[in-house]
Amino acid sequence: MGKSRVIAETGAGQHGVATATACARFGLPCVVYMGAEDVRRQAPNVYSMKLLGAEVRSVTSGSQTLRDAINEAMRDWMSSVQNTHYILGSVVGPHPFPRIVRDFQSVIGSEARQQCQERFGRLPNQVVACVGGGSNAAGMFYPFIKDQDVELIGVEAGGQSSRPGEHAAPLTFGRPGVLHGSYSFVMQDDDGQTSDVRSISAGLDYPGVGPEHSYWKDSGRVTYTQCPDKTALQAFDALARNEGILPALESSHAVAQAMTLAAEQPDDHIVLVCLSGRGDKDAAEITRLREEQEQHARD
Amino acid sequence: MPVIDELFAKLRVSGRKAFMPFITAGDPDLEFTHQLLRELDILGCTLLELGIPYSDPIADGPVIQASYTRALKRQIALSDILDMTSQVTSEIKAPLVTMVSYAIVYRFGLERYVAAAKQAGVVGAIIPDLLIEEAGPMAEICRREDFSLIQLVTPTTPRDRAVRIAESSSGFLYYVSVTGITGERQQLPSGLVDEVSWLREQTDLPICIGFGISQPEHVRMLAPVADGLIVGSALVRRVAEAQEKDRAAVMGNICELASELLNAM
Repeated sequence: MGKSRVIAETGAGQHGVATATACARFGLPCVVYMGAEDVRRQAPNVYSMKLLGAEVRSVTSGSQTLRDAINEAMRDWMSSVQNTHYILGSVVGPHPFPRIVRDFQSVIGSEARQQCQERFGRLPNQVVACVGGGSNAAGMFYPFIKDQDVELIGVEAGGQSSRPGEHAAPLTFGRPGVLHGSYSFVMQDDDGQTSDVRSISAGLDYPGVGPEHSYWKDSGRVTYTQCPDKTALQAFDALARNEGILPALESSHAVAQAMTLAAEQPDDHIVLVCLSGRGDKDAAEITRLREEQEQHARD
Repeated sequence: MPVIDELFAKLRVSGRKAFMPFITAGDPDLEFTHQLLRELDILGCTLLELGIPYSDPIADGPVIQASYTRALKRQIALSDILDMTSQVTSEIKAPLVTMVSYAIVYRFGLERYVAAAKQAGVVGAIIPDLLIEEAGPMAEICRREDFSLIQLVTPTTPRDRAVRIAESSSGFLYYVSVTGITGERQQLPSGLVDEVSWLREQTDLPICIGFGISQPEHVRMLAPVADGLIVGSALVRRVAEAQEKDRAAVMGNICELASELLNAM
């Protein structure tokens, strides 16, 4: 490509850390755009990025979350495209980003599919993944798309309620529109202005979703649902205490849905859950939220 | 014949160039915008460009972003902007075009947007985030309605793509002078004049240059190669002062810069 600089945006910080890691390995300067609110709530990943030598630019415009980080990264790229490669972190944005990201992410889906066959001699009955922009879900679902017997379930961020502005679930509550160079389900007002969204999880806190998810929703191949903040936190606790795994808050949405689904099924039913991220990054924020709640309860 | 085509035909005959100021609708409020458009018309601006505020203007630099944010904070609606536009277009001589995101046009409805804009006296739309691959339906409606669809060519647009963009555009072609977002620049790129000259050989459409133009020297350098020049951020930065300062003084300030640039044409 001949590019000498790399930029990325990040919500939860996972993609930022991954990009910073690759840049450190190859000696490339790396700038990561991150909403100021996400810099705060995903601090451990900010430390990691900085330790890996990346520059983290805190974005203070708009809602100071993933959407604004994407805006800033795109603005940077418009001025720097001659020497800079933009590694977009989700299956969103203009073509061919959604396809590039899906194809790279689909390593996890292909491996999971193969491992299921090796371990169980068959494919899973259901596959569950969380959906913000939808990269981990696209990567997990894509290798199963042709396996018509495998039910695919995407879980959006239900936030605090179904009221506008209190969730981040465009496939559940939004409608088709244009955002960041693609046509997909989006949270917008009647004038086409992007609506504010909200989720406890930085990686799901985005008003749009990858266009291929919109296609899968419309074609009926994937079922999309949403999980409230509270339920995601309960799933986080359940996985931490019963399995010794700290899931990312994003992935906790998928875990919650998987627990609900599995409870209704016979023992030999296989549910594959995409544990897209580790929860170490969320430990401090969850503790803070809990203390705030306890304080609230005492008052 | 669409109004913009007539305008440029006349300009060409008389060897004159278009000067097009850009301002945001509703910053700091619609009364100010209304008054400012009238003042700019009186100054002799050839075409007026009105920015429809958008929540995610990815092609815009900090000045216009902040301006859009100020306008949207006041809960300004598209219908309010079009109401003001209806009034002002009946009072001014210069034709008016809007800079509008495809997110807004699509949500409103393509046909409905063109009809409403025409009803309000608007003669064309610049849609910076409408890709050539997706522009077919909008280009068709605009052609049918004699409404100009102005599209952008940038220094990084491959040449064959620039030709295709020119083919689906009408009114004029918006040549982006710099690789990057809107905003004032001290210097404009050196290859600019050559690029525009090349583009001119590919199309009969008038070519207007925008992005980064803020000084009389820029105007003197570019006016000979272009059919028109567009100035945005340099004016909008002065509009921002209307938040605190006396409005009449701010308006005077903006008009002073506009006429300085206009005189350099």
